[in-house]
Amino acid sequence: MKTSFFQFLKDIFKELFSNKINFVFMFLALTISLVTLNTIYSLGLSAKKQVMDYLANLQFGKDAMFIVAGGGRIIGLTTTRRDTLKLEDVEEIKKLDFVKLASPISIGTLEVSYKGVAEKLKVEGVLPNYVFANNWYPKVGRFINEKDLKTMAKVCVVGADIPKKFNIKNILGEKIKIAGQYFKVIGVLESKPFFGHHRWDKRIFIPLTTAQRRVFNKDYIEGVKLLFRKGTDIKIAEKKIKEILRKRHKLFGIEPDDFRIITPELAISIFTKTMRTINVFLLAIALISLTISGVIIMNLMYANIEEKAPVIALRIALGADPRKIIKHYLIMSFFIAIISGIVGWILSIFLMQIISFFTPLKTFFSWKVFIFSLSFATFTSITFTLMPAIRASKIEPAILLKTL
Amino acid sequence: MVKKLVILKNITKTYYTGKVAYQVLKGISLEVEEGEFLAIMGASGSGKSTLLNIIGLLDKPDSGIYIFDGQEVNQLTKKELAYLRNRKIGFVFQAFYLVPWATALENVLLPLLYRGKINKEDEKKAVELLKRLRLEKRINAKPNELSGGEQQRVAIARALITNPKLLLADEPTGNLDSKSSQEVMNIFKELNENGITIIMVTHDPEIADFAKKIKIIKDGTFIKE
Repeated sequence: MKTSFFQFLKDIFKELFSNKINFVFMFLALTISLVTLNTIYSLGLSAKKQVMDYLANLQFGKDAMFIVAGGGRIIGLTTTRRDTLKLEDVEEIKKLDFVKLASPISIGTLEVSYKGVAEKLKVEGVLPNYVFANNWYPKVGRFINEKDLKTMAKVCVVGADIPKKFNIKNILGEKIKIAGQYFKVIGVLESKPFFGHHRWDKRIFIPLTTAQRRVFNKDYIEGVKLLFRKGTDIKIAEKKIKEILRKRHKLFGIEPDDFRIITPELAISIFTKTMRTINVFLLAIALISLTISGVIIMNLMYANIEEKAPVIALRIALGADPRKIIKHYLIMSFFIAIISGIVGWILSIFLMQIISFFTPLKTFFSWKVFIFSLSFATFTSITFTLMPAIRASKIEPAILLKTL
Repeated sequence: MVKKLVILKNITKTYYTGKVAYQVLKGISLEVEEGEFLAIMGASGSGKSTLLNIIGLLDKPDSGIYIFDGQEVNQLTKKELAYLRNRKIGFVFQAFYLVPWATALENVLLPLLYRGKINKEDEKKAVELLKRLRLEKRINAKPNELSGGEQQRVAIARALITNPKLLLADEPTGNLDSKSSQEVMNIFKELNENGITIIMVTHDPEIADFAKKIKIIKDGTFIKE
């Protein structure tokens, strides 16, 4: 048995495709806007996911924190002294029961050379626990150990790009010159994905003691990475650490901090802040374009209804009540929305593929975006068809008998 | 006693063109019994199509009473009128008004689309009707593949699919050649002999002659029978 609903749909489909040009324009208007909207939305999600992955990869999940020497703004020049963060501070912080691991670093940009090839690179003085703190292990050789620290050994572990940079085939055991002193390479780290300007694979790591006494000649550190025990309340942890540091640095009253505490949340917000501003702007443009497509759909629907007035009048004469006529055009607009929604989504994936060739952003596949696309298409299409549909339902069947 | 299907009492209808009022129907009264075949004749602008619109529940009179099939219809809503049209009235128009993208069979089934279900029996009945009107080879043809006479026959089949009590025809042969006109009128005659009440509007006396009764309308009122 065929239900009349099936026939009803068939009838709507046939009417929709009876004026192909009209259909194509409605479809195009909606599809183009949706491609824009989907692509912008997906790329925003993609960027956020990349930042999250990046942070997770650095062991900068929700149970981590980074303390940087120097107060003031989060990004940019410091407005306070930056030589006050010491290893003693780290020892004090380590006493807090929720701190699982503390990994201090002393960092500087130095000239590194090998057989006449020289380059300025970031050199970090670190402890053996650096590998656990950053989830980053040697690919070959070993990392810095306690003995290296005690003896202030002139050894180094290099990032994955270094052998290639100095054109060394078998780098283990080779000696490279850092700030005029020879360091023996004892290990090469795994390659680490990078985001923005942080090229981890171009860094060189040496024992912290060696860095402080033999290279930088300073007793302060640039930062310390902390890992907390599971379930630690980051806000409470931040407060306690701040108290310890301010007390130790003798900062009272309104004196500003001479350190900055970077939480994962803060890091994400810094990374995504600019992105978000751009996204809101682009989304606004996409929404305006969607509204324009809505108006185009409305116009084309009006034209369609004008053109089909005798058929609508006939339907009314044959027993279609006003609600059925409205339903007829809303279902038609729903079809247009579904087709445009699906095609718009597929095209946006292609567009993202193209964009990913030229930018670090990756194609982002998400059912959320698909549902988002369909919902927007349906909302726009149905909203802007409502008026023409109501007009159609008010067509007088009497127009069929033209002569008075 | 034969039941009266259509009773019109003092029907008036005025149209407005801008601020100019034009009274098309000036107190028309009419009674049509079941099984009648009435032709309404009149010149252009005499009000015959307006009258047909009112009889067919496509338009409402400004004043007067209209009783259709024992029910006063003046106060019915659009939905109720749509229901009555769908169940009790069949329409045949001068311009055929077939849905251009639908096949002959789909056009015939169109009124049933606005009921609840279309079942196999309905389809069978539609095919039977098309066969009866000698369109068995044109079942799947689109209107633009049919001649004028064939299109009008499809329209007649569409009017008959709901087993209407009343068949309304507005200049049914107006767009047809004489042979096709003859054919269509013979079908009407046969339908009337089988018990269907027909009210037809025409300005062609030869066509009106097929009816059992003729009424002439002039300036919004009947002048003679």
